[in-house]
Amino acid sequence: MSASPQVPQGAGNSAGSTVNAPTRVHAKDGGSSNLGTFGVKSGLAQMLKGGVIMDVINAEQARIAEEAGACAVMALERVPADIRAQGGVARMSDPHMIKEIVAAVTIPVMAKVRIGHFVEAQILQSIGIDYIDESEVLTPADEEHHINKHSFKVPFVCGARNLGEALRRISEGAAFIRTKGEAGTGNVVEAVRHQRSVSSEIRRVSVMGEEELYVYAKEIQAPFHLLKETARLKRLPVVNFAAGGIATPADAALMMQLGCDGVFVGSGIFHSGDPAKRARAIVQAVTHYNNPKILAEISENIGPAMVGLSIDDNLKGGRLAERGW
Amino acid sequence: MVIRLPELGLSLKPPVFRVQPLLPLYFHLPIPSMSTTGITIGILALQGAVAEHQRMLQTLKFSGRGKIHVVQVRMPDDLAICDALIIPGGESTTIALLAKLSGLLEPLREFVKTKVVWGTCAGAILLSQSVSNAKQGGQELLGGISVRIARNGWGSQVESFEAPLEVTGLRNSSVPYTGIFIRAPVILSLRASPGEPPVEVISRVPPELLPQAVMEDGPDQDVVALRQGRHLLTTFHPELTNDNRFHEYFVQECVIPSIKS
Repeated sequence: MSASPQVPQGAGNSAGSTVNAPTRVHAKDGGSSNLGTFGVKSGLAQMLKGGVIMDVINAEQARIAEEAGACAVMALERVPADIRAQGGVARMSDPHMIKEIVAAVTIPVMAKVRIGHFVEAQILQSIGIDYIDESEVLTPADEEHHINKHSFKVPFVCGARNLGEALRRISEGAAFIRTKGEAGTGNVVEAVRHQRSVSSEIRRVSVMGEEELYVYAKEIQAPFHLLKETARLKRLPVVNFAAGGIATPADAALMMQLGCDGVFVGSGIFHSGDPAKRARAIVQAVTHYNNPKILAEISENIGPAMVGLSIDDNLKGGRLAERGW
Repeated sequence: MVIRLPELGLSLKPPVFRVQPLLPLYFHLPIPSMSTTGITIGILALQGAVAEHQRMLQTLKFSGRGKIHVVQVRMPDDLAICDALIIPGGESTTIALLAKLSGLLEPLREFVKTKVVWGTCAGAILLSQSVSNAKQGGQELLGGISVRIARNGWGSQVESFEAPLEVTGLRNSSVPYTGIFIRAPVILSLRASPGEPPVEVISRVPPELLPQAVMEDGPDQDVVALRQGRHLLTTFHPELTNDNRFHEYFVQECVIPSIKS
């Protein structure tokens, strides 16, 4: 994919086309003006490709994830399955807990903030977190606005169910997209739906003429320039992981074969019978996603998977994927 | 012999018979060699920015030397057919663990001893001799380049930056190359022991960009690109730019000479 999507900039320098642009970075002002460019924000997501990002709630789980080969961990106070079961307002985690996780591992640490809660994001940036997930899994703080992510040095990942939603998030400054799926269910059906929806829309726009793109941009409420760039690249202009319901190595490989760049696994690991084994198996499944023989080997004897939930109107905790505007 | 018809912009190449037809034709099938089949460059595809390196290699053109074939290396069999290898950016702990689980660790160590390898960021960590800031319990390394390196030398992601670099030996080297440093490692010291090929520094960052918390004293912590023997090491990510000069340098200066000799 192109490393430099055409994205309006809010933080740092433009990371527009770098074709002739080696001189575009100015190290004046003490060299601080080149921090937090869109290039380094989306670049970290590119480094996570082909990897598994695991939800953890304490330093001990973070260590298990690191030993299992996670490329990053997501710190949160409760995994989505528990948020569903227990209800109540889910918020950003205690910064002290996040700092403990940062101290325990060497891989990047991400943390979730509520949709629209830019102060939670400011707090996480100030403690040096590596990536922020503006997540529908937590209770939204704003039912109209998302965070203006351009004004942060720390990069953001956001959820999306379809192309329009993904491009709206990128236009707000997200440097990384994940399909939403339905978190905390252990049921991959929604993740598949969202990924298929994004890829089928991309296939459609990739053959559209410019006039059609103007109309389609209006229809899906996406910025035209990002839609045009997506059509040109034939993929999202930033890295795209799968999330929400992945519970087995086969689920992870399925999402990879559907065109995702990597996966997030939330409750699927630490709600299973043998988290360390399952985590390691899912990490291998993402690397060898196209090799059924290896997938068969690594799926053996990894203990019981988390108990899955069927996604219908009676789903406890409701449909989280519908949050986000 | 080539007959040129410049007015028409055409050139006609008469058919060339490479072999004397003394044996039945199937005995004369061309023997695979660099001149006819090109160069095979592997990209270690366990985790990280694999597609980005592949895209850059595919933009390169080398007239007369055949095509560059790119192989994504996930299993020992993939590695066996490679003339050279790129270890991409990613998470070095993840890549090392997956290499171990895929039975690639020893084949990679052997490969490093005899063939050309380029490590970017996480790849640079894997090629180094020793690493600090490693995860608890340490991590597997491949070795190959006599440097000590510190992971995440600049700090967390909010310290990641871009900087224009002067790189010795690059095409148009007066035009700076944009170094993209993402949670980048810092080289602590270069230490080629007697008998090892010398370390050749090809790029340093300007001193004002060095990490604020200096990790230890030493003259070489500003080194961000170097060569030693067959190998190339960069602590930044040429694969994230649209500037293919570094990949061209790797193929031209490291890979092609090693295949000829």
